[in-house]
Amino acid sequence: MMMPNSLIFSNFLSLAELEVGRHFYWDLGGFSLHGQVFLTSWFVIGLLVIATVLAGRDRKQIPTGLQNFMEYVLEFIRNLAKNQLGEKEYRPWVPFIGTLFLFIFVSNWSGALIPWKFIELPEGELAAPTGDINTTVALALLVSLAYFYAGFKKRGLGYFSKYVEPTPILLPIAILEDFTKPLSLSFRLFGNILADELVVAVLVLLVPLFIPIPVMMLGLFTSAIQALVFATLAGAYIHEALEGHGDDDH
Amino acid sequence: MFDFDATLPLMAIQFLVLVVLLDKLFYTPFGKTLDDRSEYVRSRRLTAQERLDSSKKLAEQYEAELVDVRKQGQSIVATAQAEAQQVASAEIAEAQQAAQRQREAAQQEIDKQKQSAMAALDGQVDQLSNQIVEKLLTAA
Repeated sequence: MMMPNSLIFSNFLSLAELEVGRHFYWDLGGFSLHGQVFLTSWFVIGLLVIATVLAGRDRKQIPTGLQNFMEYVLEFIRNLAKNQLGEKEYRPWVPFIGTLFLFIFVSNWSGALIPWKFIELPEGELAAPTGDINTTVALALLVSLAYFYAGFKKRGLGYFSKYVEPTPILLPIAILEDFTKPLSLSFRLFGNILADELVVAVLVLLVPLFIPIPVMMLGLFTSAIQALVFATLAGAYIHEALEGHGDDDH
Repeated sequence: MFDFDATLPLMAIQFLVLVVLLDKLFYTPFGKTLDDRSEYVRSRRLTAQERLDSSKKLAEQYEAELVDVRKQGQSIVATAQAEAQQVASAEIAEAQQAAQRQREAAQQEIDKQKQSAMAALDGQVDQLSNQIVEKLLTAA
């Protein structure tokens, strides 16, 4: 695609519009869905399920190959949850935090590594599911629900005491926190992944060969970090809800 | 860009399904494998530690027995040496006594012979002195 220099900026804008705004809409009983997000998320889910099934078919005392790799993954996730939640509480939360990490990580990397652009859709294009605000907000709201659930389950209605615990003056800020937590979680992930995909797309458009590779590597790095950050923060929020301010025993 | 629709709740449900699915397929069975293995390693280490301790104790016991036996051996050697010393000194004393006796006997023999020789000499002295006297007297 050749273009005069003066047109790059305007083309950049139109490109950004084209990349982000269009969706492959599905209609489900009057509700509209982003089809491309579901297609790639099914791919991600399928990948995870197939990997675990293949690795778990014949588990041995001395692991080899894929089993070894998946055990390493599980140990990594367990350590992540343990670091956030502590030795005593972490076990029931491993599936949730671990799946957050795995889903986001595999989504991000599939968006960066798999050349989705070669698959033509009627409208929009395939990309990482985490580059869609619906996905990130869904995950962030689930984290909010999770830490509320954790707090209520552990301490009943006493969970509300954390809003006025050191001093009632901070009540508005404590309430505000419940909104800023999912907001920051979802926008951090969404912004990072979308920005990374946009930068790579623009660079590929300008210089198709070799030049975008360092940016792609950086994208892989930030994608992994974002998955880690999301899972870690989810663990930290749940831990906070479990511990409370005053009545803990450490 | 901020285009919210039914994707959001469906994605949330889908994610929860994934959590349950991976829990059944991944976290529970693999976690069990990991826990079983660490338990196995722990128990094996424990038994190995016990066996090491017992073998160390045995070695110590043998060491102590060895020391005892060595002491015993030394005392046996010492008593044997003392006995041998005794025997040797007794025999030496006996031999010395025998030699002494023999020497005394020999001395007595010598004395006796000396006396008899002296007696014989006395007789000869008398005879010679008589002869000298006779010779002198006859010459005179």
